Amino acid sequence: MDPHLHDLKQMPYLVKAMTRILVIDDDANVARAIQAILARHQCDTAIASRAHAGIHAFQASQFDLVMVDLFMPGMNGLDTITRIRSESVVPIIAMSGFRLRNSLDADQDFLGMAKLRGATTLLRKPFSPPQLVAAIDRGFGLLSSAGGAMQ
Amino acid sequence: MKQNENRAGHPGYPKHMGAGGQAEDIEIGRPSPERTRAANEVGSAIAHQLNGPLTALRLYVGEIRQNSGRFRESAEAEDHIQKMVEAAFQETERVCAMMRVIADSFEGPLYPETAAALGRDVISWWSRGGGTESGQANARGPAEAACFALLTPREREVLGHVSQGCSNKQGALRMQIGPRTFESHRARLMRKLGARNAADLVRLALGEVR
Repeated sequence: MDPHLHDLKQMPYLVKAMTRILVIDDDANVARAIQAILARHQCDTAIASRAHAGIHAFQASQFDLVMVDLFMPGMNGLDTITRIRSESVVPIIAMSGFRLRNSLDADQDFLGMAKLRGATTLLRKPFSPPQLVAAIDRGFGLLSSAGGAMQ
Repeated sequence: MKQNENRAGHPGYPKHMGAGGQAEDIEIGRPSPERTRAANEVGSAIAHQLNGPLTALRLYVGEIRQNSGRFRESAEAEDHIQKMVEAAFQETERVCAMMRVIADSFEGPLYPETAAALGRDVISWWSRGGGTESGQANARGPAEAACFALLTPREREVLGHVSQGCSNKQGALRMQIGPRTFESHRARLMRKLGARNAADLVRLALGEVR
């Protein structure tokens, strides 16, 4: 069997060819893992380990999608999202290990706040490769945004 | 059954154990805001630490699983999988190193016999936090059972009387022992079970009977 065809069958999601993705995460190992997985899905991934470096990279180059971790030293992920959204309509995936629900308002959590700041979709850590690829497809509007983000 | 919600005191550090174990009845258990906040901070700091390596690990292992059948397909596939295996190994080591630091940063209980109670407390903290969705959050786990296994027959008898609402005097009378002896049994019982007051003790006893 043609290995390429096999690959397509393995991968139910459509990620367009050579997508440029910027990952902003202070844990370089996480960013490298994302990079390694996405390399198999025709994605070229750049890594920034600080919010400011990420914003500089975003302004200096062209990206099709940005992934932002919400908790980083220095400028936090929420501000990063606000900043990027203020100058671009690029799809943004907000990543976090926490929901940190407000006990006074159960609907209000960090990932929800990220959405209010303009994140396109949310991805809760730790996530699996299919969840990662599905989040990117949601970012590009290839999948419905309903469900999937929180499972 | 709300027994887990009122666990404020650290069971390893029983306070007010002097004077015949009377004083702890005054203390009504609600975690202080400070304690709740401290527990939240420690918990989220640990979760934050572990989330990175676990995310990376999950990605690598997921990728390995999905591609394991393709190992012999091409040199490129083999190389990719080998890289994923090596990275997964590194991340596993990173998680284990963090776990060692976490596991070493908690103080042990003051009294060896309260160690099981401490373990029970940790486990009930975990189930209360929704770690399992089995709906068994309040069911007694193995650590709790281990606590009860530590009790002497005499202490079990005392526990029975206390849970029926007996005062020290009434309990002593029923068991035909001196009130001071009853009190000392009760104090030891509370220390072993990690109970902070009579109400706590009753809650635990009811859990035992159930």
